[in-house]
Amino acid sequence: MLRFRWPARSLALVIAAMVAACGGNSDVPAGGATSTKQATQLDDAGAARLLTQTTFGPTPADIANVRAVGLENWINRQMSMGREATGTHLDYVLAQLPIPTPEGVTVTIDPVYHSFWRQALAAPDQLRQRVAFALSQIMVTSTMDGNLARQPHGMASYLDIFAEHAFGNYRDILQAVSLHPTMGLYLTSLANRGDNGRTPDENYAREVMQLFSIGLFELNMDGTPKLINGAPVETYDMDDIRNLAKVFTGWSWGNQGTPDPTNARFSGSTRDAMRNVVPMQFYPQYHSPDAKSFLNVTIAAGTDGRQALNTTLDALMAHPNMPPFVVRQLIQRLVTSNPSPAYVDRAAVAFATGRYVSASGNYSTGAGRRGDMKATIAAIVLDAQARDASVAAGADFGKLREPVLRLSAMLRASEATSQSNSYRIGVLDSQLFQTPLRAPSVFNYFRPGYVPPNTELAGRGLVGPEFQIAHEVSTASYANFMQGAVANGLGSAAMGQTGNDVRPQYTQARSLATDATKLVDHLNLLLTHNSMSASTRSTIINTVNSIPVTASNAAANRVNLAMFMTVVSPEFLVHK
Amino acid sequence: MTQASRRQFLRTASALSIAGAATPWALNLASIGAAAAQSAPSDYKALVCLFLYGGNDHSNTIVPFDVHGYSQYASARTNLALPQSALLPLEAPTNASLSGRQVAMRVEMAPLKALYDAGRAAVLANVGTLVVPTTMEQYRARSVPLPPSLFSHNDQQSNWQVAPTAREGNRVGWGGRMGDLFAAGNQYPSFTCISASGVAVLLSGASTVQMQIGSNGAVRVNALNTQTLFGGRDTGTALRALMTGERTHTLEKDYNALVRRSTESAEALNSALATVNVTTAFPTTSLGTQLRNVARVIAARGALGARRQVFHVSIGGFDQHSGLVNGHGPLWTTIADAVAAFDAALAELGLANNVTLFSASDFGRTLNSNGDGSDHSWGAHHLIVGGAVKGREVYGQFPTVALRGPEDIGGRGSLLPTTAVAQYAATLATWFGVSASDLSRTVPGIERFSTTDVGFMRAGQ
Repeated sequence: MLRFRWPARSLALVIAAMVAACGGNSDVPAGGATSTKQATQLDDAGAARLLTQTTFGPTPADIANVRAVGLENWINRQMSMGREATGTHLDYVLAQLPIPTPEGVTVTIDPVYHSFWRQALAAPDQLRQRVAFALSQIMVTSTMDGNLARQPHGMASYLDIFAEHAFGNYRDILQAVSLHPTMGLYLTSLANRGDNGRTPDENYAREVMQLFSIGLFELNMDGTPKLINGAPVETYDMDDIRNLAKVFTGWSWGNQGTPDPTNARFSGSTRDAMRNVVPMQFYPQYHSPDAKSFLNVTIAAGTDGRQALNTTLDALMAHPNMPPFVVRQLIQRLVTSNPSPAYVDRAAVAFATGRYVSASGNYSTGAGRRGDMKATIAAIVLDAQARDASVAAGADFGKLREPVLRLSAMLRASEATSQSNSYRIGVLDSQLFQTPLRAPSVFNYFRPGYVPPNTELAGRGLVGPEFQIAHEVSTASYANFMQGAVANGLGSAAMGQTGNDVRPQYTQARSLATDATKLVDHLNLLLTHNSMSASTRSTIINTVNSIPVTASNAAANRVNLAMFMTVVSPEFLVHK
Repeated sequence: MTQASRRQFLRTASALSIAGAATPWALNLASIGAAAAQSAPSDYKALVCLFLYGGNDHSNTIVPFDVHGYSQYASARTNLALPQSALLPLEAPTNASLSGRQVAMRVEMAPLKALYDAGRAAVLANVGTLVVPTTMEQYRARSVPLPPSLFSHNDQQSNWQVAPTAREGNRVGWGGRMGDLFAAGNQYPSFTCISASGVAVLLSGASTVQMQIGSNGAVRVNALNTQTLFGGRDTGTALRALMTGERTHTLEKDYNALVRRSTESAEALNSALATVNVTTAFPTTSLGTQLRNVARVIAARGALGARRQVFHVSIGGFDQHSGLVNGHGPLWTTIADAVAAFDAALAELGLANNVTLFSASDFGRTLNSNGDGSDHSWGAHHLIVGGAVKGREVYGQFPTVALRGPEDIGGRGSLLPTTAVAQYAATLATWFGVSASDLSRTVPGIERFSTTDVGFMRAGQ
């Protein structure tokens, strides 16, 4: 293994994870869950394409790594890596903003963005990071909310849910989300009361069904709507919402140590120092004692609220919509906007059975429990629809790369580093029209069913979620922003430093600067997995060659120009 | 691109998007040509949709004020009720459904109240998405078709902006359909449907493409306006080919078309905006900035050769399941200040009677409290502002503001709408110049309602 070019940090981590997992070799079955008989070998472009779908952007080291270990082994190793190398988002934020807040320290939300970018750009467990980002766009909370904008620890800890459970089980994610005080604040389930005949807040009850679990319409396993007389069938109605709302009553601020469900803590007047990160706890005195009946589930009157919650989450997990509803969105976030029904079906089966076995039988993973994320992610990434070059060559395949992933890919390909090592990238609303963890609402920046009007996509009956934030202003702003960022990076300087905090280094690109063809091919591999058309490639090469190698700053200018032209090229913007 | 060819591009931009597509749109194109031939107005009119994203709490926007009405309201709303001292009673509505009842605006709406008093603003009561006229009995028995996915944010936004049978994912809204009718009468069809606040399906027509404007008008792609980027040669030309050239991949094609539109429209818009001067001060809020930019584009109507335009501006934060008591008033302060400035700017431009602003929102909210907020409901009150509005009046049927009143669908004071969004839209469309024969293809479903004009716009203006 040492012959591969692992970054020092990730090597240590992988070894640690392997030792922890199975005493030596993660490529053989561990507890019967994962088995690789023979790993698929990829070429450079194939590895870069895999990394485009599964990381925040390919690097030469990661491409070499994927090629060396093979496709399935790379997935296994990514899935078995712990979070030791970079730690949790909460650890990072606590290091910047200790609790209690020291005198003279201003609490801002910025460290959450910094932690996001630090992990996205530099963490070795890239698959985990990318899946976590995808999940954070399904179960959305946002710093656009006035309360959450003041809760850096709560936001960091919320994001940690997805990193922690990215390869766990969706049931655990749903529970952690439902009980996190950040979600409790955002969708107002925190301190929701159902006692004394009160009418509970219906917010969380509605969105947990519409957005996080089953959706509005009954689905076939392949993600297509079930039709009765040509019309879709609604999964729930107002009565279901009202009943479910009663389940989500009696939950409020938690505390460290023994649960202390006093009225003063429920209302917030007694505060635990860590209340923004410890799960909400149950306060029986505020729970609705009524019987609750929804989605063919009946919870008897007087049932303990914790049991009612478990029954509810189990029911959502067991709903036939859950597998296709969740996996289709994950496919859209990782691979393609318009997956075929057969692709959704295969991944949904992996989610439902908790087990994925590759078509060849060479590879299998998953613990066999419904909602298994290893099986789901493996099924999504290893499916022929995701891997076959012939599928990728189709005119409708792929997705518009969302702005956050454009920036991350550019920064990773340019070997960007952070002067402060804090990755001080903040709100990017006016530059990219997208900032991680800052969606305008729980409906995220874009919807899975968004159809951009007056487009070829619309004419072909296809969706294009990311086009929801693509318009005359955002497309122009993106290009203008990248023109500066490819050359000078971005992010405010830390105290005592000057210039942008995160800056491209281009060590490898600079070494190729005198040879425009090699330079462009280097970027073509990293940023478009060698998918540039002959005309795009030659346009960029010829334009780079218009800068004489003898001109002043020729190396920097040639690299900057090549990078800029690459990141505004359609082959980069749409990844296949 | 020369000025002439740019103009030609802009003339045909909306048609270009159709050129490569399949048959259904070709039919639309034909009907547009026919419709356009019969309109071609000589005056200027604009509609401005102010969308309140999240679902405005209408019950604390327009509030019963007479003794009995206020007392019913206060007992239904409990801790959400506004004190009567924080209300501004509206004078002189003659609406028969009020039958002597008095209603008020919340105090933060004082600038809007002033417009109401001046006869430049009106209230439309209990308007919401309906497929057909629907009685409570029909609703309870589900004996008539109901809008799909009631109470769901994204779907009800689509219902409002498209048609009552629409869900998220629809592609053509009634503002865009008006654009289809009138784009040909504008010198630059690209500047017919304009959003200052993100993509809204309201503004997408069958052929009309909505345009976004930024907080400073249009944004140019800097790299396309230099030939020496990073010391290279002819970089602008190379980048233009890369970023705006024709593509074969579907998504690449759509993205490059967007950049193409962006660059071409930015040129024309910025040169037009350079000729205008709007001196009215606007608040520096997002909504204030949006409306300021709309006013500037309207001021540039001469340079843009625009006769009919539809705009979209918005403000979010209305999904107040919690924090309603302290959070709702500030939103209306923001709205009232921005709309009052917009009204003043139109007066400055001499267009006081030519522009009509109307509010819209996902849905109304429940009348009763969920603890410290209200939940998703259905019908809601809305405002129409402008010199062509028959102001100082409440239109529609003002509901009984009480739990289990005649319009309450389920005991929480959620209103079954008594005026359909389609009727609201048709009233605006008729003022805008849409002929009776074009109404049903502009506002789908309006043919199912006998009243197509709710009456809040002045005829002949």
